[in-house]
Amino acid sequence: MRRYSYLAISIIAIIFFSGLDTEAQPNGWEAIFFRANEAFKEGQYQDAIDGYEQLVQTGHENGHIYYNLGNGYFRLNQLGKAILNYERARILIPRDADLNFNLRLARDQIQDAIAEPQGFIQMAFFWLDALSLQEVFWGFGILNVLFWGILLIRLFHHSEWNYYLSFVFFVLFLIGGTSFGLKWYQVRTDGRVVILEKEVNILSGPDIQDTVLFKLHEGSIVHCERSEDGWVLIRLPDKKRGWVEAGSVEQIKRDPRGPC
Amino acid sequence: MKKSILLILLLSMCVNIPCLASGDVSVTLKLDRPEATLLDSITLVVSVSGTRKSDEQPSLRGLDAFEVMPGGTSSRIEIINGKVNAGVDYTYTLQPKKTGNFTVGPAEVKVKGKTIKSNTETLRIVKAIQSKEVDRGPLFLSATLSPKQVFVEEQAIYTLKLFRQNRVGDISLGLPEAEHLAFKQLGKPVEYQSVYKGQSYQVLEVRYALISSKAGIYGIRPSRMSMTVFRSRRKSSRSLFDDPFFSFSSGEPVTIASEPLELNVLPLPQKGRPTDFSGLVGSFKIKAHLEPSTIRVGESATMTVLLSGRGNVKRIPDLKLPELEKIKIYADQPVLMEETDARGLAGSKTMKWALVPEKEGEYRIPSLSISFFDIESKQYRVLESPALSMSVLPVENAQTQISQDVLKGHKRDGSRKQEVKELGQDILPVHTSLKDLHPGARPGIGGVVFWAILMIPFFAYAVTFFIQKFHRKTTMSVAAARARKAAKALIRECQKGGLSSNHLTSSIRRYLNERFNLSLGSLTPDEAADIVNSRGVSATTSERLRRTLKELEDAIYTGKGQETCDMGGDIPELIKQIEKETR
Repeated sequence: MRRYSYLAISIIAIIFFSGLDTEAQPNGWEAIFFRANEAFKEGQYQDAIDGYEQLVQTGHENGHIYYNLGNGYFRLNQLGKAILNYERARILIPRDADLNFNLRLARDQIQDAIAEPQGFIQMAFFWLDALSLQEVFWGFGILNVLFWGILLIRLFHHSEWNYYLSFVFFVLFLIGGTSFGLKWYQVRTDGRVVILEKEVNILSGPDIQDTVLFKLHEGSIVHCERSEDGWVLIRLPDKKRGWVEAGSVEQIKRDPRGPC
Repeated sequence: MKKSILLILLLSMCVNIPCLASGDVSVTLKLDRPEATLLDSITLVVSVSGTRKSDEQPSLRGLDAFEVMPGGTSSRIEIINGKVNAGVDYTYTLQPKKTGNFTVGPAEVKVKGKTIKSNTETLRIVKAIQSKEVDRGPLFLSATLSPKQVFVEEQAIYTLKLFRQNRVGDISLGLPEAEHLAFKQLGKPVEYQSVYKGQSYQVLEVRYALISSKAGIYGIRPSRMSMTVFRSRRKSSRSLFDDPFFSFSSGEPVTIASEPLELNVLPLPQKGRPTDFSGLVGSFKIKAHLEPSTIRVGESATMTVLLSGRGNVKRIPDLKLPELEKIKIYADQPVLMEETDARGLAGSKTMKWALVPEKEGEYRIPSLSISFFDIESKQYRVLESPALSMSVLPVENAQTQISQDVLKGHKRDGSRKQEVKELGQDILPVHTSLKDLHPGARPGIGGVVFWAILMIPFFAYAVTFFIQKFHRKTTMSVAAARARKAAKALIRECQKGGLSSNHLTSSIRRYLNERFNLSLGSLTPDEAADIVNSRGVSATTSERLRRTLKELEDAIYTGKGQETCDMGGDIPELIKQIEKETR
């Protein structure tokens, strides 16, 4: 009996602590955060950005830090970088009121009118846009426990109420599972990139000599199809396509390998 | 029961309407048309709203030049937007005795001892124009135009009258078409009695405003009216069916036409035409006011200009308030109201401006002007609104008290609150709280917790399911082993030999109980045969078992139960056969 207790405690401890990242310097990141906030208040926006970037680089990826970064770039009049970081923050804290206000304000300043397409899945699973991947997962996790739990109860006790309840939980489990799968896919395959320069030429090929097809301006969000030798093939919702230099854009999903 | 209560409530509501509504009683006098001939009858209706009965019949004034015939009383109950309104209408028929312009009314009505007066209406009685033709028959269409000479955009009234002595139905009207001429119906058609060439007719009258956009002489072709005429058949003798309700009449399609007319449209004079003339023709007046006239800096006052009259109201231009020093001006969307009555087209345009002073002092709001062509005086006129003044006090230093008015969306001076205006745009500040910033406070997707949450419930279910299944299987296996053993034990016992009938019967019963997982205390031969038969054993073998048990039972009941039975040799074969055939 005692052996089983030890085993149970060990399993719980492993499960609990495995989810937590190691904190080598418990106060280090907090100090950087405070310094960056102070710098922002004093108008030292570049210092504030450096502080927040340092936090992100050291693995402290957080929606609020991205939001602060977006504010810093906005103050420095770097609309592209501001929108990039606001969008990164939106993936993690999509319902934050301050973030949505600032993002709307920043988007109003974009010169290009690029409409965001609304597909069937976006309409049918309308809640996905307002929830982060974590939140969708926890929702699905709860439904998963409830669904298998009610099935477990049914192994020992068959009754009308648990029959209907198991049916309801099954439907919710399917919806939750599909939502989680879609959100997972959406986040994993997010190929959106932000234009960082004031104005960029979109060319017909990955060469500076190629024909200029159209121009895009800072802050516009487009989809990246593939990258090749320092060039990125982008696509607009209205199917316009063209090549742009990789340095002129940055992918919203952080990827050390570069865009796409 | 519920229905009865509802009915009682409805009835009591109807009964109580006069007392409920008597607090807000109003009287309206209405004529069916503003102009008639000496030979026409005119319908006058006195409507009393807010009560279903008056103390006495209305007393009518201004009817010395008319013969008045009461036309009946009708009461009404209306429920509009949940509000119950009761009323009573007194109808009179007027027969003019002389020509002229008359003011009809007011009507005075006494309700609960209180006298309530109505409005008045003007009525013009003209001499009847009789055609030179002696008789136009029992059905004819007459058209008149008044006036016959108008200016461009001035309205002439085109009146069509259908005189009939027979019943008609399915009436359709075809108006004449002419370039640059537009017809606009004025109100609903009216019906009344009239006399023509000494004969009484029922008249259906419909009026149109006729407006021309270009000068010239226009020939207005006849209007055509198609209908079905029902002519009564004369019967030789009077009978029950002489009653109009039962009268036999046959319908006959008929198309009749009015007389052609001519309209002379004069161009608007060039002389004296104002530079800002917008084409407005008719008769108009202007009103202006400022509300409130005393405000504080930063508050708003509303200036309203109302231009109303009779004519082509669509041509009323949007007036522009000139820029005023130290006053911000916000123009509201002008509201144009068009209406028609028997005398033609009328309407109004309301223009509003919100004035927000930036500095204290006395301000003068200049007058606004508009020009139009006056059809009465046949010349251009300029209407000017009165100049208005506004006193602006300094901002109140004391803290603003939130009054009930403010809570209701009104400022303390009674005016509406302004919409919040955006004065600037900026981002919201950075997030400085550590509360949400703890890195990795939530387990990441793909970690151990992630898989644990996803898989543990499933595994818990799966493990429990298999354990339960295994347990069931084990239980079944034990039963099967016991069944196999039961056959062997019985065969072994029989092979020993020297067994009595009692012993063999109880051994077979034990075998059946263990073999088929039963717990029967006693077993008849028929029951035993049925049991094995239901387990897939053939009818022959079941019958053999039944017979064997019957013989054993007979031996027991005949007192030979303890004696050695010679059937012990047959039973093993029978058991083997049962084992073979059992599913």
